[in-house]
Amino acid sequence: MGKVWVIASNTFREALRKKTLYILLVVALVAIGTSRFFSFLAAQDELKMIKDVSFATIEFFGAILAIFTAIGAVSGEIEKKTIYTLLSKPITRRNFILGKFVGQSLIILLNAVLISLFFIGLLISKKAVPDIEIYKSLLLIYVELLMIGSITLAVATFATDAFNIIFSFFLFIVGNLTVYFKQLVDRTENIVFKGLGEMVRTVIPNYENFNIRDQVVVGVSVSWKYIGQTTLYGLIYITIAVLIGIYFFQKREV
Amino acid sequence: MKNKNWVNLFIAILLYIPMGFLQVNIDYRRKLEDLEARLLLMPGQVAGSLVLGGFRGVAADLLWLNIEDLWHHGHTHKLLPLFESVAWLQPRYITVWAVGGWHMAYNIYATLEDEKEKKYWYEQGVSFLKKGIAYNPEQYDLYFELGWTYYNKGEDYSNAVKYLEKAVKFPAPDYVKSLLAHAYENNEQVDEAVQQWTKVLDTGFKPIAQRALISLKTDGAFTPKRRTRLGLDKET
Repeated sequence: MGKVWVIASNTFREALRKKTLYILLVVALVAIGTSRFFSFLAAQDELKMIKDVSFATIEFFGAILAIFTAIGAVSGEIEKKTIYTLLSKPITRRNFILGKFVGQSLIILLNAVLISLFFIGLLISKKAVPDIEIYKSLLLIYVELLMIGSITLAVATFATDAFNIIFSFFLFIVGNLTVYFKQLVDRTENIVFKGLGEMVRTVIPNYENFNIRDQVVVGVSVSWKYIGQTTLYGLIYITIAVLIGIYFFQKREV
Repeated sequence: MKNKNWVNLFIAILLYIPMGFLQVNIDYRRKLEDLEARLLLMPGQVAGSLVLGGFRGVAADLLWLNIEDLWHHGHTHKLLPLFESVAWLQPRYITVWAVGGWHMAYNIYATLEDEKEKKYWYEQGVSFLKKGIAYNPEQYDLYFELGWTYYNKGEDYSNAVKYLEKAVKFPAPDYVKSLLAHAYENNEQVDEAVQQWTKVLDTGFKPIAQRALISLKTDGAFTPKRRTRLGLDKET
């Protein structure tokens, strides 16, 4: 565990040194800040817009950060040749991947917390105390971002950076479209295609599961049971991605 | 080491089984808690691409800003597909149903001369509000909006009573309770009106309720419209 933590803290510190984090953070804060321009609307509509824009910003910029942090995690070490030093020490490849994942999760958390604090501050400045539903939605967005990061890290262990960027963004879009795919599968009468469709739907990360913000912004309450099930879904998917990452990294010739 | 590595892949594949079951449960709960997203095929432009990216809330907001803009420029008829789209994207967003129904039954109605056309838009407003109720049956808001539209615009008091009775079953502001009393009276349910005003005595509308009860007990009428109808007051 100690070795994992060493890799994790190094990954975290390294990510802090990169300008990407700060640029994304500033752009995200500006994006959320612009929602103040909706003050010409009725108070209720303005609050709804602030919430909509903020949730979308936290998810979108969080996804970009998760993807770029994970992409550089493996290839960066190989390019700088630091991986030889790391792996020659008593650090297993499993520890290396686990450490990278924990490190990137911390940086995603830091980013999400900072943007969320700004968002909550904005709500409070509008005299709207954020209710528990807001935090539920933020929690699910964070689990979704961890999923995105873990999948990108898994792909980074065997694919090139260019492929990984395209693949991860493609998966981010497809993962948000699973509802449409489900409707197609439900309408299919051919049992073989239906089975195949269900299988594909299980394999693809279903980011739509984590989207409760459309309901939360209009004051609808989401049960803890749903939050629990979705979080568990995310954790299982993350475990799968990390295991696949370990598998391919063990096989990789460095 | 090599054999152990296969265990990682094996466990990963095995984990897809509980995840598949979990997804079935999540699908069920999304249906149960009305969290499912709806397919939007119109109108395209900015909203369409955002919907594909999973940002339905922002798409609905952009359409709402469009509605505001069109409304202030007097393009009332162009608002209708936009109302439908926002309602489709976020059906639990009560404001869109309430404002949409109001635009149809009041604002578009007011711009028309032909009685048939007026009737058509009044009915469109009523039908839009009813659709909104189907998506939001557990809040007073749209029952009240519909009850008010029937009461005030349609002067259809029996339907007004029907929906206002539903509205007061949920936590609602005092004016909803007092409107129900007015609706009862106009629907010739004077006993129910008295009972309702008695309930209103416990609210912030107490002075009005007191006057209403005295008036109903002495003249048998309180609301100006009914008093005029009964010849108790002259039409103003």
